[in-house]
Amino acid sequence: MIEVQHLTKRYGPVTAVDDVSFKVEKGEILGFLGPNGAGKTTTMRVLTGYMPANDGKAVVAGYDVFANPIEAKRRTGYLPETPPLYPDMTVREYLTFVARIKVQGASASDRAMRVEHAMKKTHVDDVANRHCAKLSKGYRQRVGLAQAILHDPDVLILDEPTAGLDPKQIIETRDLIRGLAGNHTIILSTHILPEVAQTCQRVVIINKGRVVAEDTPENLTHQLKGAATLYVQVESNGDLLPTLKGVPGVVKVDVADRHEKFTGYEIEAAPNRDVRRDVARAVVDGGWGLLELRPKRISLEEIFLQLTTEERPEEAQHG
Amino acid sequence: MANHVRNVLAIAGKELRGYFASPIAWVMMGLFAIMFGYFYTVYLAYFVRAGMQSQFGGGPPTQNINMDMIRPLLSNASVLVLFLLPMVTMRTYSEEKRSGTIELLLTSPLTDFEIVMGKFIGAIGLYAALLVVTAVYLSMLFVFGNPEWRPVVAGYLGLFLLGSCFISAGLFISSTTKNQMVAGAATFVLALMFWIINWSADSASNPTVSDVLNYLSITQHFEDFGKGIIDTTHLIFYFSFISFWLFLTLKSVDSERWRG
Repeated sequence: MIEVQHLTKRYGPVTAVDDVSFKVEKGEILGFLGPNGAGKTTTMRVLTGYMPANDGKAVVAGYDVFANPIEAKRRTGYLPETPPLYPDMTVREYLTFVARIKVQGASASDRAMRVEHAMKKTHVDDVANRHCAKLSKGYRQRVGLAQAILHDPDVLILDEPTAGLDPKQIIETRDLIRGLAGNHTIILSTHILPEVAQTCQRVVIINKGRVVAEDTPENLTHQLKGAATLYVQVESNGDLLPTLKGVPGVVKVDVADRHEKFTGYEIEAAPNRDVRRDVARAVVDGGWGLLELRPKRISLEEIFLQLTTEERPEEAQHG
Repeated sequence: MANHVRNVLAIAGKELRGYFASPIAWVMMGLFAIMFGYFYTVYLAYFVRAGMQSQFGGGPPTQNINMDMIRPLLSNASVLVLFLLPMVTMRTYSEEKRSGTIELLLTSPLTDFEIVMGKFIGAIGLYAALLVVTAVYLSMLFVFGNPEWRPVVAGYLGLFLLGSCFISAGLFISSTTKNQMVAGAATFVLALMFWIINWSADSASNPTVSDVLNYLSITQHFEDFGKGIIDTTHLIFYFSFISFWLFLTLKSVDSERWRG
């Protein structure tokens, strides 16, 4: 549904997007993750036809955005970082205007129906007659979303759709976006990690204009550490390292924390091997008290930091 | 084609609604009505006094309401237009760029040409409304007097084209900046330049330069319209002037896309 190949965008001497390629399948929600200034917004602006790229190709809903921008735009809904609202218009007037420029050749009644439908779907029908200037941040964001889905596009591109919302609104917006998937293919950008884990099926992590990882949130977690890590707390201040290392399947053991009465260990197991039972037995058989045993899952946050702080060898050379 | 027209009208309609939803249109129309009304009263009083004098001898032998009242009145209206139109065009692009709504327009299935034309026609619509205000005053002359209508129509056509020139130039300047005040001031100065550009024509040593300067003067071309003459030379000048600035606006919007 969306295919980006070797996309490069430069602003003068600054390369904002550097040889970015990825694909999004129909009905998928793709999370576009990266620190501020990584090139997320620029990539999205290229995909929506707001600006041309210097190099590369982008195909949206079967249309090349450079060769056939009008057809591509007809099939794309876009929510920019700041919802593009006209303060002097009421919500209904605004959406009716958007319907006029986005839906070609629709009758007035068809437009009115689309507007009502979009307002219902994004829960803004209660402010239909209020001026956009007087809307709260949460409503502005949702009117922006209504604007993006108005023409029932194949592809939705959402630039930080939950930025600046309160926790309740964030949950509502995420539910809304999840509800839209299936009918629409969605790319959403964010720098908030749990958002990706909760809403997206696939993640593209971008840093300094380059794609540094692309996978499902689960796979990313696996890939990076290779294996699950266990945290074990034992009621003893003795040294259990040899015992734990002797458990079959255990690759590495470290002391995580040491207290007066108990010690915590971090145990790394071989890939796809569940060592929990054996570790528990080894501890109990040794006569120590087992206080705690839990899988220590690496969070997306850590992956993100690992990926975005890791220096690339060629970059180091070029200085 | 039908699609293009629909899109242009959608943008033009939005622009017009924007003018009338904010105080801009109403303030403009109010100011224009007051100033034009003042000129109207002054010229009417002068005309009536001159008429009485000629009746009792001593005044100008013949009086013509077209030449002695309507023509200078429309000429004064053109000065008002010079002052007011930069305030209309200054927000056209600047405001959209500042508030980010330009992202909506540029990512909608519209061509840049449709957007530029829509904005141009929208501003023209507001300008037409201003001219209608003046027409209300002039219609009084038709009710109580018997002026010739041809020179009036020609004069209005000239005024309309003159204003369209300012609008096209103003649109271009607005497309180059996010700052409304800068856009307004620069448009005013640019329009004023074209207004008085022929002043330096007399002192130009080269006759070609002098001809060019005279030709570029917006007011020079307006004079014949005031006399009731519709000359194709002037029409061509105005249409080229407008096309030139609209073309530059299109280029400016396009280059803005590249710069982001």
